[in-house]
Amino acid sequence: MKNKLSGIDIMNSKISLSLLTVACGGALITGCASSGVKNPSGVPVTEMKADERGFVAGTGIESQDMVAVTDKMARSILGVPEIANATTTPRIALLSINNDTRFPVNKDVFLTRLQTLLISKTQGKVRFLAREQMQALEKERNLKREGAVTSVSDPRLQEFKGADYFLTGKLSGMTTKTSAGTSDYVLYSFELIDARTSEIVWADQSEIKKQGLEDAAYR
Amino acid sequence: MFKVEHRRVAAGLVPMLVVALLAAGCTVPARPRVAYTGDPIRDGQAWIEQGPPKDKVLWEYRTALYAMRGSDFPLATKLFDDAILNLGAMMQPDAEARKARGYFTEEAKKTFYGEPYERVMAWYYRGILYWMAGQLDNARACFRSAQFQDADAENKEYKADYVILDYMEGLITDKLGGDGSDAFQRAQKLSKIARLPAYNADANVILFIDFGAGPQKYASGEYGEELRFREGSSPVKSARLSFDKQTLAISPTDDLYYQATTRGGRLMDHVLGNKAVFKKTTDTVGNAALITGSVLATHRDTQDAGLAVLGAGILAKIFASATRPEADTRTWQNLPQYLSFAVLALPPGDHQLTVNFLDAAGQVITNRNKMMEISVSAGRDNVFYVSDQTTPTSTTTPNSAKP
Repeated sequence: MKNKLSGIDIMNSKISLSLLTVACGGALITGCASSGVKNPSGVPVTEMKADERGFVAGTGIESQDMVAVTDKMARSILGVPEIANATTTPRIALLSINNDTRFPVNKDVFLTRLQTLLISKTQGKVRFLAREQMQALEKERNLKREGAVTSVSDPRLQEFKGADYFLTGKLSGMTTKTSAGTSDYVLYSFELIDARTSEIVWADQSEIKKQGLEDAAYR
Repeated sequence: MFKVEHRRVAAGLVPMLVVALLAAGCTVPARPRVAYTGDPIRDGQAWIEQGPPKDKVLWEYRTALYAMRGSDFPLATKLFDDAILNLGAMMQPDAEARKARGYFTEEAKKTFYGEPYERVMAWYYRGILYWMAGQLDNARACFRSAQFQDADAENKEYKADYVILDYMEGLITDKLGGDGSDAFQRAQKLSKIARLPAYNADANVILFIDFGAGPQKYASGEYGEELRFREGSSPVKSARLSFDKQTLAISPTDDLYYQATTRGGRLMDHVLGNKAVFKKTTDTVGNAALITGSVLATHRDTQDAGLAVLGAGILAKIFASATRPEADTRTWQNLPQYLSFAVLALPPGDHQLTVNFLDAAGQVITNRNKMMEISVSAGRDNVFYVSDQTTPTSTTTPNSAKP
């Protein structure tokens, strides 16, 4: 009988110990859940390629889209007979891009990259006009005309070049939102317009569609 | 005898240790000490810099709006830009959001991006700022994105139903040489409380006006698991604009309290509901187990089983108390209730505008009057913003940012 009781005692002690362990475990798990800190040491800066889809991404217009689109457009423009077979250097002026999407963007980035690509790839076969700097250019010309600064040519001559072509573009978008997520389609279209005839001598487009769904905590 | 004593000690230790561990384990990181100065912009900036990262967007929203009301448009732009940039992270895997869906973490631990009406307003104000800077297409993009935030209302009738957003989208499209009639018709169809003015090609002054107090959040339900909204407290119900010997009634085109309360249920409400059921069930089971275990433990024959049931009861109570079904009630508290606007065709030069804010009886609330000395430039849109909360210093300075 005594031995039997000892067995129960041992079992009781085991139960108590198990309970202690389980309770402590439970308390630790539940208690610690509220004090977790995400990335306490931060996330080191990661250098990405501009055409790479990074780990921070949404359904909007991002750098990799801009790079892909401008690369494609530059290649396409270079094949236009008016540019490729031009006997005199074609001069291009940039017109502002029309953003018709739901994403505010720095539109200058598109044209700046396109312009830089064309200049570097054609090695000077194409020239761009700095129309956005006209105010400063006119001021400088006036200073030369007034003799306030030196000039290597006759400042009275009109040397500002006229544009042979205008390069412009449009970003158009279409958005769908359902319980399955958000879908954003953006059409990037660009065109080269003959400044003399108003003919569109070149047009091309690129399209990108992205989809995503927010965490349930935000739905 | 010694063994019985030992057993009792062990049994007594269980709850004590559990309580001690809970107390230790539940230690929440110390709240940041941000000293209040009474200046909402300085305080807001301090919270943005020193407060918890999960509340950063909330403080950016609040501070940006105070900045707009103080005519500090560059600061408002910077803060809204950063807040909107953060909204893109809603589609990124977020450990805090995942935890907030778990049983043992409250919803308010997730990064704050705001309810749809709050996100709408961030985009709306950013749109105004773009327009002030002469970037009409980016302003339109913001108004579209604002409307998009409201596109997931449960009831189809209330989806993307902000009048002012459609109206402004159409107006900008018209100004950019496109056809804004579709957007205008959508706005007119949605408009329940105001007849909208037709687009005027000569209109060169756009005045955004908001007034009243925005919706405030509170939690209801047995465990605070239900997110609810109450109307903000303000006597201002409408406005009147006087300029160049003309007077224009300014009716609200949109009501944020209406928008907040017609969104319908959130997916998170189901999650919180489940948490509440879990909490209630484990609590009830814990109570039953504690009572049963106590009764069993008093009888020598069932003492062991009683202790086991008591232990189970304690565990259930621990889980119940650790379950956090409370809804997130963090609020962009300084939003207005009503949004409205005036589109005018004024000759270039200086003009004086007076905005009177009226109570429900149509009486002028004299301490809310706003006088604006504006300078209208030729060849561009002149965009201004005024609120019944606009701070006095800003009313004497032009509200339009330089392009």
